Amino acid sequence: MLWKLSLTGIKSRFKDYAVLFSGLTLAAAIFYMFLTLALNPSFLKDSVSLGYETTQFVFSFGLVLLAIITLVYIIYANSFLLSMRKRDYGTYMMLGAKNRKISRLIFVETLVIGILATLLGIVIGIGLTQVISNLLISQLGLVIHHFVGFYFPAVLWTIIFFAILFFLAASWNSLKLTKSSLISLLHEDQQPVHIMRHKGLLLFKAIAGLVLLAVGYWAMSTVQMLNLTSIPLALVTIVAGSYLIFASFFTATIDLLRKNSNYTFKGLHAFSLGQLKFRINAYNRILTIVSLLFALALGAITVGLNFNNLTAQNLESQYYDIVIPGDTKPYKAELKQLGVTDSKSFSFKNNNAHVYVSKDEIIRKGFKAKLFSVKNGQAHYTEITLNQKNFAKIYSTDFDTNLPRGYGEVTYVSDAKFKQVKAPTRTATVYKVADFLKNWKAISKLEKKTLNAKTERYWNGASPKVFNHQAAMTLASGFEFMGFFLGLAFLAMLASTLMFKVLSGASGDRPRYQMLWKIGTRTKLLKQSIAKEIGILFALPAALGIIDVLFGLQFFKLLLPDPYDKIWIPFTIFIVLYLLYYLLTVKLYEGIVLKKD
Amino acid sequence: MNEILNVEQLTKTYGKKGEKQYQALKGVSFKLQKGEFVGIMGASGSGKTTLLNILSTMDKPTSGKVFINSQDITSLNKNQMADFRGKEIGFIFQDFNLLENLSNRENIALPLALQNVKARLINDKVEEIANKLGITQILDKYPAEISGGQKQRVASARALVHNPAILYGDEPTGALDSKSATELLTTMSKLNKEDQVSILMVTHDPYSASYADRILFIKDGKIGNELRKENQSREDFYQAIIAELGRR
Repeated sequence: MLWKLSLTGIKSRFKDYAVLFSGLTLAAAIFYMFLTLALNPSFLKDSVSLGYETTQFVFSFGLVLLAIITLVYIIYANSFLLSMRKRDYGTYMMLGAKNRKISRLIFVETLVIGILATLLGIVIGIGLTQVISNLLISQLGLVIHHFVGFYFPAVLWTIIFFAILFFLAASWNSLKLTKSSLISLLHEDQQPVHIMRHKGLLLFKAIAGLVLLAVGYWAMSTVQMLNLTSIPLALVTIVAGSYLIFASFFTATIDLLRKNSNYTFKGLHAFSLGQLKFRINAYNRILTIVSLLFALALGAITVGLNFNNLTAQNLESQYYDIVIPGDTKPYKAELKQLGVTDSKSFSFKNNNAHVYVSKDEIIRKGFKAKLFSVKNGQAHYTEITLNQKNFAKIYSTDFDTNLPRGYGEVTYVSDAKFKQVKAPTRTATVYKVADFLKNWKAISKLEKKTLNAKTERYWNGASPKVFNHQAAMTLASGFEFMGFFLGLAFLAMLASTLMFKVLSGASGDRPRYQMLWKIGTRTKLLKQSIAKEIGILFALPAALGIIDVLFGLQFFKLLLPDPYDKIWIPFTIFIVLYLLYYLLTVKLYEGIVLKKD
Repeated sequence: MNEILNVEQLTKTYGKKGEKQYQALKGVSFKLQKGEFVGIMGASGSGKTTLLNILSTMDKPTSGKVFINSQDITSLNKNQMADFRGKEIGFIFQDFNLLENLSNRENIALPLALQNVKARLINDKVEEIANKLGITQILDKYPAEISGGQKQRVASARALVHNPAILYGDEPTGALDSKSATELLTTMSKLNKEDQVSILMVTHDPYSASYADRILFIKDGKIGNELRKENQSREDFYQAIIAELGRR
């Protein structure tokens, strides 16, 4: 009988359950996706071979973070489930259902929902992994191999992890419900609100929070000086600082606003402020967590995308796109298709110790090169045409990448001296194409053809630029892919966590909105107030998170040419997704609190 | 005549056509003069709540008309209904319905704030009504910090701060102890006599009802008998109500 009741209970609140269920499914799907990425050694070795050890470290770190946020998420989703079912359970108990039976009912209900969500999540995860990786690979032009959606160890670990989580959640639920009194189950929303009044303490906390945050940001930006101590220092101070800020600074701001009766006594301002103050006390911890995760997620995406700059920088560093040794006739057709804009030939001679090139010929024909210099700690490449004046700088340019390697030192000599060198004269031709990025794959093919041609070995291939580009792409792609994955996973989790925290309070807020409606508040005004209130709850951690990232990027100055470059792209993507979560939360919340009897 | 409320042939039917229908109100008509204190009594299921919901523009009738200050409130749209409630109606609920996250002052100010009255004027009005109801001392406390009787006074202040055309009470003493209940009823009675506040109170408690000038008995969706206090003492009127209730 009770089972039947339980089923009808779920049926009658199907919409709320659908939200909960899809949230849990999403969590499982994301966890699975991440595991597929982190546990799949063939993918990692192939894609990020250069930093395999580092990458594994980054991934295990990410995995721990994801596990923690999943745990927090399940706790909030679970409390949402509990808040929905409390009254029903209370009713069963009032009707005389035994404690033990109810507790078993809750236990099984939680576990069944959890396991179904996990299984569905894994299926979705497999599909999503395939789709997203394909999407990323094609959209970003990433070079990624050995990546498929289905990976058995990931399936296994996801099931184990979630089974443990839901087992704990189920035990917790059944314990909590059977321990609380029948009355409090039936009238949970009517409990008095605790009011905090310690002005001095509040001020102290606010100042301490600001100071701690400042120290944290300073630690991030002076990473050169502090070295590795900056990470733990920043972590501790930023976490503590964020918590104190949420616990005090915003409360103090709200109090200040409330004192201003011109502001307070206008429409629903007083109500919104009251709600917010009451909320922020209860939301301290979650807002802190969300702001930190927001920073981590946004940081991951920003840094990940920034690795793309490595490839751009690499392209900047070399002037000529193709080098073909000896006779160029066999490649005429291919070269024509590549859209060559500039081509020049030069002669060289080589023996076992030296490669000789005529300086006079280079200057006469006006070869170009990229001159390397360092400005403000960052690499710069300037295009120059080699001439008498600047020829001494040729060793700071990329010119020697056009020459054969493995024969010895490159020596630039005069025409007269070149003639005296006793070795056969050979030639090479360099080409510049109109659009390297569009053609680099074709150039790569051409390169293979020259290698297969059994001319004398020049070096590895016909285009050092393509070779370098490919290497940079592989490295960047791995990091970019990882950054995106980590970032999106964190974003989805943190936004859903916040969503469930807001929604689990909705049934308690309902009487307030009903009352406001009764005393003559237009529904439109109520909706505005809801949008504002939830908006602030979403905006506060986001704002702090963005500030965290802006300072946190300082840390990556050691690794990347310019961590702040094109920062608006990841920020926009991220904020748009976050906004979608916000809108969804507002809609669902409205559905609960504005529903008429 | 100086009518505040005029109810004409009000009916309300629940359930759609073709389904099983239930008629909660079967043609209710009555009038309330300015400055009158009218009680409506009836058992559970008699249609009291439905009637009050329609009179307060929270629900629409199936047929019939309701005029408040000569305005037909049954023809208003949703927004107009909300605005009308906010301006012309004061409401005291059984369970106070105060917002526990606002101070008492902010709770009382709410109806005026919703009408975008200037802050300074709001403050004056709140002080004035608080003074009248004897709650000046607790204005800056929170609902959780005061007693049930005080809460209902704050709720009354909120219901009256905007000078509504009519004050509705929905079992206003239902959640109060007898001393607080008497205090509240005395206050309502005083507001009615001294300030000409028109009051319509729904209750099933004969003691509360005995504070009214006139009592309408509602039964099975229709107005039955009517009792007038005239020149009786409150105690005699109470006995008359008991007698009327016992007759059914």
